[in-house]
Formats: sequence, structure tokens, C-alpha cells
Amino acid sequence: MFKKADNNALWAIGMSLVLFFIGGLLTTVVPPLVDTTWAKPFENHDPSKGITGKVVPLTDLQKKGRAIYVREGCWYCHTQQIRTLLADTKRYGWRGVDAPISTPDEFVYDDPHMFGTKRTGPDLARIGGKYDEQWHRTHFRNPRDLVKGSIMPPYPWIVNNPEEFKAMIAYLQSLGRGKDWRPANDYER
Amino acid sequence: MQPQFSKAEVAHAPEGALVHDDATAKWFLVSSVAYFFIVGIIAVLIAAKFVWPDLMGTMSWLTYGRLRPLHVNGMLFGWLLAADMGLAYYVIPRLCGVKLWSEKLGLATAALWNVIILGAVVTLLAGLNQGWEYAELPWYLDILVVVAWIMFGLNIFLTVATRKHQAMYVTIWYTMGCILWTAFVYLTGNFAVLFTTGTNQANLNWMYVHNAVGLIFTPIGLAIAYYFIPRASNTPLHSHKLSMVGFWSLAFVYVWTGAHHMIHGPISQWLQTIAIAFSVMLLIPVWAVVYNLFATMKGQWHQLRESVPLKFLLSGVVFYLLTCFQGPMHSLRTVSAIVSKTDWIPGHAHMAVLGCFSFFAIAGTYFAVPRIWGKPLHSQALANWSYWMLMIGGLGFFTTLWLGGFWQGWQWNNWSIPFIDTVIALRPIWIVRFVSGILMFIGIVMFAYNILATAMGANEEAAA
Repeated sequence: MFKKADNNALWAIGMSLVLFFIGGLLTTVVPPLVDTTWAKPFENHDPSKGITGKVVPLTDLQKKGRAIYVREGCWYCHTQQIRTLLADTKRYGWRGVDAPISTPDEFVYDDPHMFGTKRTGPDLARIGGKYDEQWHRTHFRNPRDLVKGSIMPPYPWIVNNPEEFKAMIAYLQSLGRGKDWRPANDYER
Repeated sequence: MQPQFSKAEVAHAPEGALVHDDATAKWFLVSSVAYFFIVGIIAVLIAAKFVWPDLMGTMSWLTYGRLRPLHVNGMLFGWLLAADMGLAYYVIPRLCGVKLWSEKLGLATAALWNVIILGAVVTLLAGLNQGWEYAELPWYLDILVVVAWIMFGLNIFLTVATRKHQAMYVTIWYTMGCILWTAFVYLTGNFAVLFTTGTNQANLNWMYVHNAVGLIFTPIGLAIAYYFIPRASNTPLHSHKLSMVGFWSLAFVYVWTGAHHMIHGPISQWLQTIAIAFSVMLLIPVWAVVYNLFATMKGQWHQLRESVPLKFLLSGVVFYLLTCFQGPMHSLRTVSAIVSKTDWIPGHAHMAVLGCFSFFAIAGTYFAVPRIWGKPLHSQALANWSYWMLMIGGLGFFTTLWLGGFWQGWQWNNWSIPFIDTVIALRPIWIVRFVSGILMFIGIVMFAYNILATAMGANEEAAA
């Protein structure tokens, strides 16, 4: 069967494609059909079934903020996923409460997805609500004014553009809020 | 007949009988070498930004977030893939014993490819980024890439169809495989993602990212290594059977592994397990290829002393072995818990794309350019220096990032250490990475100058 491909180009082409498509289809088309949580937004109002909350679509302002996040390449240095590792849930928790693990049903409205691959800066999956607008304003203007030793670039053109800044903050504050996990002593409450 | 170089064929290179035009190969090689140099400047600049984060940081189009995609796309598509295509235009007609099907179509492809790369520079600096890794380019450039790829594929397949030698050498299979798989992998990563969101989209994205390396750069890179190692050492390939094992197992195994980019992440556990199992199976195609190429060199290793292409080729094979040992190991859940998302990963990625596949492409270019232009290489000594600069710079880059990334991963796993302390701790690592980057850049400059001087010297002579 494989020998024939030595001399017959059409046979070689056919075999290469058949072998490729077995794995290709089984790992791309089939998984979302098997695991329906990939497409069903998270919603739970019964505390006995675990963490409560509801994932809602982004507002227009938040979408505008996400577009800036994409444009500036924030996602090259910040991931958005709390992995199934104790280190992630502890490190990205808040005021003694562990961050819930990220699940596929929290990201149904993410387009483009912003999971990321590299943590040059901290994960942002649960950043929403942790810092107020004034903190972000100062931090975007020059991160080193607030976090000594940070290597994040300054983004004065976002801060100096009130519309863009407002959108950016709206997006950041929405991150990770689909699950209602914040502690009772959160400053927002 | 076995489709491998017989001793006689190697001794009397059959190129004499047939005069190849090589105009397409010339254009692809010259422009790719130029992009290697230009994008190299950006590479050094972004390495510097890790050490001096305010460096040129107040202009939006010179920030890290704009330059990184330009570095990645420029190196992958402007340099590496273009150089690989140029070498395919050189190699395939020779293995088929015929002229390239159409040099006109080839030249149009080269022109279109340059339009795409220049378009990429403008759009990426302007922040027109789609938000998917390796698929940052806006849709109108994606369509041009597809058109260029069809033009490339058509030319190669029709050359193969008109071949004089019935048996196809392993390089031809890998090149054809690359063209076919790239088509579907690219469509998945750049078009199918448009119809999905969230985890589903990420799964398609990682299928593309993984296979951009596994089913685009790996097969075309191995096609080059399989041609130039026997050719540059005047030695027949060790085993035809083993090359079959390597090729067909690659065709089956590679595509399954995309989800290993999301180990422990928000994606089904069973899909992660499948990706891990197939990632470990990658050792089969890799070791089959590596053994075959090393065995070809048996008794011939002394040739490395004199031959710069062989130095690059065999170092590339060693890096291939290492990078493809790391890959399956990273996919294991325990290892991933430490190295994933750290600076280890760019160390690994650069060993694959620079240490292995770029070394193959550089070797092929050093071998082919003097033959295409019918002139000796401008300077052998400079070529040798370019090897050592890239080798020392590369090793410095890879090893410091592995050490730094591993250390970073351990620190992250101790959540009593504030995140910013893990950033500050890596500063020495980034300084060494920057210095290594300068060494690599010097190597690139030497390589690019040597190639362009060879080519332009030849043209001057022809004009006179």
C-alpha cells in the first residue's frame, strides 16, 4: 500500500490526505459535538450545584475595549485561563478566596478567544473588579509608577483618549465575572 | 528502482544534461534572505524591550505588542517559508529530471509573496491584528496567501506530473505533503476560526499553530534535509524504508496534537489526553528521520570540517531531535504544570524554527545559490563565521530561556511569591537572551551579505 506511493503521485496524494483527515476531523469537528459545554454559556442559580453566576454577551463598549486589547497585543503577554492547578487558583484569587477554575462554558462569547500562551505578565482571567479605574489609569500611563520592576510598556495613547480608556476599563472589569466568586469584603460591594 | 540517490547519480550530478532556469528560485531566495535581515532587526529590538521596557515605548507602532506579531510572521512567512519555497523550486525540477513547469507562474508567485509580506508589515504595525496567534494577518492578506499557495502547489505538482524518473525520492513526498496539508491547516487556522467562538475557536487555532510547525515547516524542512544531506556529502541515503516509516507516521500522527497547547486549560480533559498520547507518538516519525540522516553520515562525519552546509544541516538534525524530544515531554501534565506559559516555551520554539528549520534553509541556500548563479560563494570564511555566530548565539538563547523558564515555573507554583518578583528575577536571563540575540543577528548579517554578494557579484559579471 505504501510502496505504491513511491511511483504513483496520485496514490501518494490520496494516502497523505486520508491519513491526515482521520486525525484532522476527529480533533476539530468532533470534539464540540461531544462536549456541549463548549457552546453552552455558563449559568447556575443553585448554590448546592456549585458556584453560581451567569455568563452574558459583551456590551458594545466592552467589545470596543476587547478590540483595543487585541490591537495592542495584550494577549501576547497575558493569558486568560485559570488552569486546573492549585497554583493558578491561589495566585489569581482575591483576598483569601481562590479563583474558580476556568471552564469552556465561560468563554462562549469570546471572539477572538483570548486564552493566550505566555505569561510575561500575570493572568487576567479573573482581573475584573480587582483594581479601580484610577489604578488602571495610572498603571496604563506608566506601569512602573505602581509596580516597581514591571516590564509592561506604557500606553499613554489609551489613557489620553477618554473613549478608548473607558472601553478598555469596561472590558477589563468584565473579565471573569460570569462566575460569582468575589469575597464579601470586596471593595465593590 | 529505489528512489534514492545512487552512488553514480551523486558522482555525476545529472544537472549537466539539463539547464535549469531557476529564475523563481532566485527571486524567492533573495527576497527571503533580505527579510531574514530586516526582521532580525525587529527581533533584537523586542529582545531589548524585555530589558529596557521604556525603549521606544511611546510610539504605538513600536511597542512590543505590535512588533511581536511582525517578528513572528516576518520570520515564519517572510524568511523561512519563502526560503523553503525557493529551495523547493530548485530541488523538485532536479529530482524530477525536468524543468520547472512554469517559470512565469513561479515569478508571479514570488511577486505576490512579496506583496503579502509588505502588506503584513503595514497592517501589523498599524495594529490591524485579528487576535489569533500565527493568524494575525487580516482576511484580505489571508486570501492572497491562499492564492499564492495554489500557484506554488500547481507549479510543483505539474512538475512532478511531467517527471522523467518514475520513482519519487522522499523529498518529493514531503514537499507534496507539505503543500496539501498546509492548504487545510491554513484554512482551519485562518478561515474556519471565523465561524466559531471560545474554546471551539481556540481548539481550531491550536490545531493550526501546532501544525504550522508540524505539517508546514517540518515536512518542507525535512524535504530540504533529505535532499541536501546526501547531496552535500556525496553519500546515498541510508534507508529508503526508514524514510517511508518517518513520512507516513508523520502524516497520521501530527494532526492530533493541537490540544496539548491547552493542558490544564479550559478544554475537555479527554481531548487533552488524546493530544498527550499522540504527542508522545511523535517520537516515532522523529527518531526514524533522525536515525536515517545520522546513519547516512556514517563514516562521513569528517566532511563537516570543510562544508558549511553540512555543519548547518547536521546541527539542524541535532536540534530537531532535541526540540522533538522536548515537545512530547512538555505535553505531559506534570511537566506542563511547570514549563507551560513560561519563558521555556520561546526557548523551545526558537530551537525548532531557528535551530532546526532555519538551519536547514540556510544550508540549502548556501548550497544552491553558488550553483544557481554559477559562481563560487563570495566567502567561505564568512560562511563559517556565520555558522558559529548563529550556533553560539542560538545555544545561548535556548539554554538561558530553558533555565529561566524552569525557574519561573517553579516560582509560579509557590503562590507566596508575588508575581512581580518572578518578573524581576528573570532580568539577568533577558540580558543574556539579548546578547545572544545580537550574536545571532551578526550571524544573519554575515549570511545575508554573503548570499547577496554572491548573487550580485554574478550579475555584475554578466552585465560586464
